[in-house]
Amino acid sequence: MRATIGQYYPGSSIVHRLDPRAKFVAVSALAVALFVRDSFAGLGVFAIAAAIAFGLSGVPPAWFWRAFRPLLWLVGLTFLAQVLFAPGEPFLSLGPLHLTWSGLETAAYLSLRLAVLVLIGSVLTLTTAPMALTDGLVWLGRPLRRIGVPTHEMALIVTIALRFIPTLLSEVDTIMRAQRARGVDFRSGGLVQRVRNLQPVLVPLFVVSFRRADELALAMEARCYRPGAPRTRLYPLRAGRADAVFLALTVAIIAAGLLV
Amino acid sequence: MSVTLPDERPEALARGIGLVCRDLSFSYATGDGATPALSGVGLALPAGGSLAVIGPSGSGKSTLLQVVRGLDRPDGGAVVLDGVEPGAPRYAELQRATGLVFQMPEVQLFAATAREDVAFGPRRLGWTEAAVSAAVNEAMELVGLPEVSFGGRHPYSLSGGEARRLALAGVLAMRPRLLLLDEPFVGLDPASRRDLVAILERLRDDGVTLVLVTHDVDLAWRLCDRRLVLADGRVVAEGPWAFAPADLDLLAANRLRAPLLVELWRRLGHPPEDAPRTIEAAAEALA
Repeated sequence: MRATIGQYYPGSSIVHRLDPRAKFVAVSALAVALFVRDSFAGLGVFAIAAAIAFGLSGVPPAWFWRAFRPLLWLVGLTFLAQVLFAPGEPFLSLGPLHLTWSGLETAAYLSLRLAVLVLIGSVLTLTTAPMALTDGLVWLGRPLRRIGVPTHEMALIVTIALRFIPTLLSEVDTIMRAQRARGVDFRSGGLVQRVRNLQPVLVPLFVVSFRRADELALAMEARCYRPGAPRTRLYPLRAGRADAVFLALTVAIIAAGLLV
Repeated sequence: MSVTLPDERPEALARGIGLVCRDLSFSYATGDGATPALSGVGLALPAGGSLAVIGPSGSGKSTLLQVVRGLDRPDGGAVVLDGVEPGAPRYAELQRATGLVFQMPEVQLFAATAREDVAFGPRRLGWTEAAVSAAVNEAMELVGLPEVSFGGRHPYSLSGGEARRLALAGVLAMRPRLLLLDEPFVGLDPASRRDLVAILERLRDDGVTLVLVTHDVDLAWRLCDRRLVLADGRVVAEGPWAFAPADLDLLAANRLRAPLLVELWRRLGHPPEDAPRTIEAAAEALA
């Protein structure tokens, strides 16, 4: 297996260097604007902005494609559902299926929106290390801390989960190989057999995971981790002029998209 | 190993399986390309022979075992089992008679009882219940966990050494005639190591072909009559053990050393290749 996990594409482009908080805020604002706006011109502005951001990120298009491909189904299905089931005057009828101009239009809007949303979301996750993203979210969630939401602890959970995804995947790989060596064929057999085949994988995986979790907790306590204690960072998030320019640009793009 | 028990193994497999690797290459697919793990690896191990695969960490030792067992398909070259080429009709059967003991194999135990875990592999081979139960009893006996006392135990209630031996029994119950072991001694206490060495010696004396990946050159020397030194996925030495100055340099260059008994023999002025394999033999020779 040994697959590349997560979608972060390490780099040092201008997009990579932006503050994760600025990127997260910009992406959220753009996402809202995308769904507010109902014109091709407006959506076009957002699409062009997203494409420029993507171009500046220096991420190879193949990586974007990898993130986008699983969502093609969603976009395709949304398009079909809108085309086939939208109300309105049909301009073409094939048996029970009616195509309407308004349906076609809504379908085009929705697909375009989804595509642009995936594109800007990918730019965010491809250019921001998971750790930086978590740090940014913790900072943005600071107001919640005042009403008792354990944001640091939640961030820690996310960070640990991200950290252990590759470890667990390689664990799954090893266990599956070992059981294959003992005669399990994971690729054939009916559904029932395939589900049953998972038992020799899942039981050891759970045991290993719990043991790991236990060891990690002990190791953290041994290094004086105390839940809820105030934390400092080795690399504090620092927003600079570039981030201010970026946010101003985002505001301008959103305004342009909403007004054209 | 008793031979009176029902055995569904074809006669041809009653002895060890000879292993020939021809120009094996294998790469792991990574983010943007491929990392070569084996390049042009060749080896020949006669049936019933024993081979220690040694070399620094990351030299491709584990990968070699995975490829030999058929869990990874080589990019080039072939694994020939008993003279049978991959794809030939008998090949799958020979592959099933090739056991692979993973690093820390106790991690893969999953059944509710020791007996059930050991029976898992034989059942997969489609043996009758009588044959499965005979194979389970035999394998558990061989690893020193007799079925009568350990069969009903939960695998996770066993000690580290016992769990390791139970996992080995799970592989042995499939009656392998070529046994691949990946660092079987790691993390065992001295008594468990001694038990495991004794089990492997019995298997070897029973004619099972052994391939042992290990960092422990002393146990490699004790158990294996040949050695393969891997470095960066390439074979730098293959064949019977040799301890000429050039060979010793080669071991040192690959973060290895000569076995202690060999070193002792060399310092005593004896030909190092004649060094005894066990402390007992050394004591006898020196007495």
